[in-house]
Formats: sequence, C-alpha cells, structure tokens
Amino acid sequence: MKRPKLLETVLRNLVSKPATIQYPREKTTIEPDFRGIQYADLSKCTGCSLCSIECPADAIKMTPIPQEYAVPKINPRRLYPLINYGKCVYCYRCVKVCPVNAYIVTSKYDIAGPTRYTSEDLSLKTLKEVKSQ
Amino acid sequence: MGVTKIVEIPVVTTEVPIGPQHPALHEPVMLKVYADGEEVVRVDVNTGYNHRGIEKLCEKNTFYRDIFIVSRVCGICNAVHANCYVRALEQILDVTPNRRAKFLRVLSMELERIHSHMLINAVMAEIVGFETLFMQIMLDREKVMKAKEILTGNRVSADFMMVGGVRRDIDDVKKEKIKEILLKLKPRVEYYVKVFEEDETILKRLIDVGKINYRDATSHSFVGPPARASGVRIDSRASDKYDAYDEIPFNVVTRNEGDSWARMMVRWSEVMESIEMGLYILNNLPLDGNPVPDERRLPRKFPPGEAFTRVEAQRGELTYYVMSDGKSQNPYRVKIRTPSFNNIVNSAFMYVGYSLADVPVILTSLDPCISCMERVTVIDLEKGTRERIPFKQLSSGGKR
Repeated sequence: MKRPKLLETVLRNLVSKPATIQYPREKTTIEPDFRGIQYADLSKCTGCSLCSIECPADAIKMTPIPQEYAVPKINPRRLYPLINYGKCVYCYRCVKVCPVNAYIVTSKYDIAGPTRYTSEDLSLKTLKEVKSQ
Repeated sequence: MGVTKIVEIPVVTTEVPIGPQHPALHEPVMLKVYADGEEVVRVDVNTGYNHRGIEKLCEKNTFYRDIFIVSRVCGICNAVHANCYVRALEQILDVTPNRRAKFLRVLSMELERIHSHMLINAVMAEIVGFETLFMQIMLDREKVMKAKEILTGNRVSADFMMVGGVRRDIDDVKKEKIKEILLKLKPRVEYYVKVFEEDETILKRLIDVGKINYRDATSHSFVGPPARASGVRIDSRASDKYDAYDEIPFNVVTRNEGDSWARMMVRWSEVMESIEMGLYILNNLPLDGNPVPDERRLPRKFPPGEAFTRVEAQRGELTYYVMSDGKSQNPYRVKIRTPSFNNIVNSAFMYVGYSLADVPVILTSLDPCISCMERVTVIDLEKGTRERIPFKQLSSGGKR
C-alpha cells in the first residue's frame, strides 16, 4: 500500500500553532479600507434624502434631528439619514452617491448583538448639543 | 376518458428521499431516489425550497439598485452576476469602461472562480469522508478571500461592478499583496492536484462514478465544468471575449473521461489557469485613466432597449436579459438563467445504475447552487394543481 500523501502535512500540523483564533478575545486582521459601518457627518449633511432613495436594502430612513441639537443652515428640513445596520448590506452606495461627501466610513464590522444597532448615536455625536430652555 | 399524464413509479423499489435538508447535501434540493437494493433505478429532482422572487424584485427597483440586488442572487458568484447585469446596462446606455476597469473586473471574477472551485473541491473531499483534506483546502481558500478583501473591500460580497467601470481602484501596495497571495497559493494548488490524482480514497470514490458521455452532455445542455469534463469545449470567456478576456491569455480546460473525478480535475486545472491569469493581470495592469466612475454623474434616464449578456460563471454559462421601456426608472424585465438550472434539473439520468452512496458524490461533482436556480411554480390550492410558468408568459406581464 502506498503512503498517504497528506501524512506529512498532518504530522506538521500536529505540532504547529492552530490556524483558528479565539475570536472575541483576539481580533481578526482586516484591511484598513474594509467596508465596515458608515454614518453621516451631520455638519456636512444637507438632508437631501438621496442616500435613502438609492439604498438597495431600504436600510436608510430620513429622521428628524432632535430639537436639542444645533443644525447647520445647509440642512433646513432638519433631517438626517438613520441607518439600520441590521438591514444594511454594506454596498456603500450611499457613500458614493452623497452629493456633499457627508459619509464617514469605518472598518468596524463586529456589530452583532442583542439590541438594535443604528447610526443614531454616531451621527448625532457630530453635532453640537444646545441646552433647551 | 383520456389519460393526460402517466407518472411512472418503479414498483419493487424503496423510495429514499434525500434532502431538502440532509447532512450529505450542502444545498436545499430534494432528490427522490428509487433504489432496488443498493442500486439506484430512478431519481426525481425536486426543487422549490429556496425561491426568493429576485426577478420580480428587480422590476420593482431602479436600475442602479438592482446591481446590488442581483449580487445577492448567489453569494459565491456575486461578482459574475453583477458583471453580467452591469454589462447589460452598459449595452443599453452605450457606455464602454476603460481597459484598466476591464482588467480589474476580470481579476475580481477570477479570484472568485478560484475560491469557488476550491470550496467545491473541499466539499467533495468531505463528502468522500476525507475531512482532513477539507480543512486543508479551506485554510488555503482563506488566502483567496483575503485577496478579494484587499481588492474589493469585502471577503465575499464584492459589490465591485458599476456602470462604466469598477467601484474602487488598487494601488501598488495592494497589487503586491495580491500577487504575493497568488504566488503562495500556487504550490498549494499544485499539491492538491497531486492529492486528487494519487490518493486512493478519492480515486476509489470518484473514478467512473456519474459518467456522462459527450452526446449526453450536449443533448442535456450541460454547461461549465460538467460539460468540459465530457470533452465539450464550451466556455463563454473564449467565445464571447467580453471585458478583458480578449487580451488575457488563457486555455479552455477540457477532459474526456466524463466522470466525477474529471469534473473535479477540470476545476483544479481552472484554478491553475485563474492564478496565471491573475498574475498576468497584476503584471500588465494598464494605466489608461481612472477606472472608477463618479456614481453621482451616471445617467439617470435609460433609453428604451434590451440587452442580452452572458458570462462564464464558476458553474457554467450565466445569462441575463434586461429590458428597459424608456419610461420608468425601473427595468421592465430582468431574466436570469443560471448554470445550475441546466446542470441540476437535467441531471436525473446520471444517477441511474450507481449505488446509493454515490448519489451525494454525483450531486457535489455538479457543483449545485440551488439559490441561483429556483423558478416560479404556481400551485392552485382549490383545484390542487401545479403549474410551471414559462418564460414567454412571464415576460408578457402575466397576460395569458
């Protein structure tokens, strides 16, 4: 009987480091320009709704900005794109069609969790909060 | 009273339903196998477990949104689906991308071909009971996924094609990284070819199992590797020369054995060809301008017209028919014909005469992709009838 061809590889792998990683404790190495979560920079956003119209997954909903935030004059309708990351397919169509380049892209990908994850906090952080009277 | 339909069911046999969920299948298809002892005498292929209505969804969305919707027809062949659809749009709009964009498109599609063929060879190793080899091939497949991540920005869903070009360019650093991965991969693939050629477990399970001769392969209109393994020289990359395939040298791999082993070996040889093509593209990437079109300036209005395009997907010839009526933002009709549809629905005759244990091997050697191939079947609950709707009727907008 012939010697099995894979025997050498099997023996080598018995003594070498495992190829798998302990994922949540050890991060996967990803490229810096990996298509991760994206959110709108509200100091640039004009609230034109183009990203919401073009989104193939209907993940973007134009939402009114809460009253306690100071909104720049370029956004008279006080709307901002709220991205539901559970629906988003990360095609970056919104990033590419935005007429004022308002989207900020990140390479964050580990967003699975028990709660609904949206771009609300990330987007509103780009605005200054005004104390309501 | 006339008899309208005769359903032949062999009497002295056992009916063994395999699927739609079964450990030996990696896709939701149901094979009703009639066996006489161990020998298969008849197989019925039942599909319909994964129908999602993507063609109708395309009619309800705009031309540009559809690029990302058709990418989700199938995860493994997303770049070829998007490429075929985008080229149909380019024909309607009369737009031509530049050479650099064409080369990058081919690179993404060939990387996809490499990882798809490696996946099905790994699955085949698992089906024949060789799990070590499965793990080994999947480990090396990760390198290709990394190359795709470097090129397109995601491991699986490329979303790389856009009307008039591609969606991101590569620089020299990325080029070197991808080249390094391909050069590392090459000796590994050569090694796997050797394993598939010489290992006794694989040879005993695959050789002379599920044989198709040249005549059957053409009369049952097989496409892709199953046809090429039976000596049929069919490859739309060579016959159509779309994108940059007219400039990149490659060989169409054919074999004459026609059995499951030949189909797997055709896939390995194609992986080697694709690696060579990838290296050629990276060494000879043209510098004729920006391949990334500005998506904000692309034409919004589509003229009336229709386009029919085809690509060589990993599993065979994939065709798209896109029709624009010139009035609305949405396509009037998008028709997709995937290679698995030909390969699986026509494959029932291949199982006859082999043993029950060979059924998963034959199915895997065809590389089924069920999510691509599901078609509309209308079931009338009141009358209890099933009816399959042909293309002509669907395209007439439901009019009889």
